[in-house]
Amino acid sequence: MTGQAVTSAEKAATTLSIGKALNNGLRRAMEDDPKVLIMGEDVGKLGGVFRITDGLQKDFGEDRVIDTPLAESGIVGTAIGLALRGYRPVCEIQFDGFVYPAYDQIVSQVAKFHYRSRGQVRLPIVIRIPFGGGIGAVEHHSESPEAYFSHTAGLKVVSCANPNDAYWMIQQAIASDDPIIFMEPKRRYWEKGQVDTDGEPYPLHSARVLRPGTDATVVAYGPMVRVALDAAAAAVEDGRELEVIDLRSLSPLDLGPVYDSVRRTGRLVVVHEAPSNLGLGSEVAARVTEKCFYSLEAPVLRVTGFNVPYPAARLEEEYLPDLDRVLDAVDRSFGW
Amino acid sequence: MASVVSDTDLDLLLLIRAFEEALLDLFASGEVSGTTHTCLGQEYVPVALEPMLRDDFVLGNHRSHGHYLARFGDPAPLLAEILGRAGAPCAGVGGSQHILRDGFVTTGVQGQGVAVATGMALHYQRTGQRRIAAAYIGDGTWGEGVVYEALNMAQLWQLPLLVVVENNGIAQSTPTTRQMAGSVASRAAAFGVEYTGLATTDIGDIRRRLGPMIDEIRSAPHPLVVEFDTVRLGPHSKGDDTRDAHQLALARQRDWLGALRAADPERVDAARARQRAHVARVVEAVRERPLSEWRSPDAPA
Ligand SMILES: Cc1ncc(C[n+]2csc(CCOP(=O)(O)OP(=O)(O)O)c2C)c(N)n1
Repeated sequence: MTGQAVTSAEKAATTLSIGKALNNGLRRAMEDDPKVLIMGEDVGKLGGVFRITDGLQKDFGEDRVIDTPLAESGIVGTAIGLALRGYRPVCEIQFDGFVYPAYDQIVSQVAKFHYRSRGQVRLPIVIRIPFGGGIGAVEHHSESPEAYFSHTAGLKVVSCANPNDAYWMIQQAIASDDPIIFMEPKRRYWEKGQVDTDGEPYPLHSARVLRPGTDATVVAYGPMVRVALDAAAAAVEDGRELEVIDLRSLSPLDLGPVYDSVRRTGRLVVVHEAPSNLGLGSEVAARVTEKCFYSLEAPVLRVTGFNVPYPAARLEEEYLPDLDRVLDAVDRSFGW
Repeated sequence: MASVVSDTDLDLLLLIRAFEEALLDLFASGEVSGTTHTCLGQEYVPVALEPMLRDDFVLGNHRSHGHYLARFGDPAPLLAEILGRAGAPCAGVGGSQHILRDGFVTTGVQGQGVAVATGMALHYQRTGQRRIAAAYIGDGTWGEGVVYEALNMAQLWQLPLLVVVENNGIAQSTPTTRQMAGSVASRAAAFGVEYTGLATTDIGDIRRRLGPMIDEIRSAPHPLVVEFDTVRLGPHSKGDDTRDAHQLALARQRDWLGALRAADPERVDAARARQRAHVARVVEAVRERPLSEWRSPDAPA
C-alpha cells in the first residue's frame, strides 16, 4: 500500500463510475485494515473480468489479492477458514451464475456459524456478486439470485445503486462483523456520479429516499434504481410526483421509510429484475400490506422479470423492467 | 514420422479456424452481443477424436464451437444459434455456450458436464450399449469439486466415461502453474482412473494412440482421462488476453497450422482459402435470415 496509491485514489475521488468507486472503496478498506484480503478467479493480474480489483494486486501484493483456481465452493470455504482466524476476506464471484457451486458453503456454513456457535464465532466475509442483466450476455452471466440469499437467515444482503454508495457500502460491508452478500449492479458499473470521500456514510442497512414525491411510491434496488428514477422524472410530464426509494439493504429489509412513504402516497410499485415469484417484491408487498393496509389506495404492484430462465441476449430488453413498464404500473395503481 | 493429413481432416480443421476467425470479426463489428470463446489453436483435438465418437454422446463446455463443427461439419446452424437467426438448433436461446444437437450438448458452467456425462455413461454401461460419454474440459476446470465427485463415481462403477482435457496452459488469465497443484495425471491416478497424455498435434498419431483405448472402454467399460497439451492462440473470450508478446509468440509457434503449412504450403493454403470463402458465404446467408422464433409448447395460447 504505497503513498502513491492513496493519492491516486483521492485524486479521482469526485466523479467516479460505480466500478471505479468500488475499486477505490476496496483499496481504502485494504489500506485501513491489513486483515482484509481479496480472493477470486482472475482478480489479480487481470483485475477481475469487470476490473473491479484493477491494480490492487500490484499495490498490495499476491498475499492479499489472491488469484484462486476455478473453485467457488473452495473460495468461500477458504474464506470461512480465514475469517475464523481473524481475516476479513472479500470473495469475488465472477458472475451471478457461478455462485451456485458455492451455495452449499454459503447456506450451510457462512450463514449458520454464528448461530450454531452460540454467537461465539463471527464471520466477517464479504461475497461480491456482479448481478443482473442488460449487458447482452448469456443466462448464467445475467441472473438475479438475491432472493436465495435474502431468504437465508444469518446472511445480510445489500446492493449498491450509485457510485457514492458503491464506495461507502463496500467499506461498510468489509468492516461489518457479519457475512454480507454484496450484490453489484453489473450493467451500471460504468455509470458515473459524485462520490464524497470525506462525508459521513449513510448507515449500511438503511433504505433511502432518493427522490421525494407525493403521488405514488416506487421502491427499487441495484440496477433498477436508475429505471425508477428515470420513471419518476418522466412522470412529472403526467403531473405525477413519484417518491423513489432505494432499498439498499435486502436483508435485513429496512421498510420504515417505505411505510412512511406509502402512508402519504397510498400507492406502491416495487421494481426488480428478478422474477416476481417469491422475489423481494413479494416480501415488500406482504409487509406493506400488513403495516399500511388502511393507507393503501391500490394493491402493491410489482414490475419484475418474468418467471422464466433469463432469456437470450436479443430478448433481454423484453424481459428487463423499463421506464414504460414502471409508468404503466403507476397508471394501473391510479386506475384502481 | 508425421502422418499426411487427409483432405477431409484438413478441410475440417480449416473450417473451424475460419469460423472462429469470422466470429471474432462479427464480434468486433458489433453484430454479436455477449461473449464468445474461440478454440483457435485447439481445432485438431475434436477433429482427431470425432470419427471415434460418432455414436457416442459428447458434452462440451464454453469453448465448444470446434467440438460442434468437428461433429456436424455444418457451420450454418451454429452461426444461427450464435446470431439468433432462423435455423438455430436451440432457436438462439442457448447461444454460443449452450448448444444441443443430436448426441451433443454443451454448458458454459465449468465442470458440470463431467457429472452429466457420468450419468449418461451409467446408462450406457447398464444397457450394454458399447457407447461412451465424452466430456471436454479445460485445465482450469480441474479446480471445480464436481469433477472429482464424478471421477470417483465413474471409476467406482466402472463407467465408459472419456474425459478429454484440453490443457492450453491457461484459464482465462491464470496460468495453469498458478491454479493447479500436482497434475491431471496424478489426479486421475488418485482415483485409479486410466490416463494418457498427448503432446502431438498430428491427427493420425492421435487416432493411432487413442483408437485402441477408446475401443477398450467401449467393450470393457471404465473411465479414461486423455490430456492434450495444447495452446490457446486467441484471447480467452474477446480482447482479454493477459499474456505478453513473448508468450503469444511461443503459442503461435505451436500452432498446428504452421506445421501443416511447412509440410505442404500449397495444398494447405488452397484449403484455407476455400474454407474462408465457405464461411464467408455462410455468414452472408445466415445474416440475412429472419430472427429465430421459439414458442414453448407449454406456453399458454
Ligand atoms: C463454475 C464457473 N466458474 C467460473 C466460470 C467463468 N469462466 C469461464 S471460462 C473460465 C476459465 C476456464 O479455464 P479452462 O478450464 O482452463 O478452459 P479454457 O478457457 O482454457 O478453455 C472461467 C473462470 C465458469 N464458466 N463456470
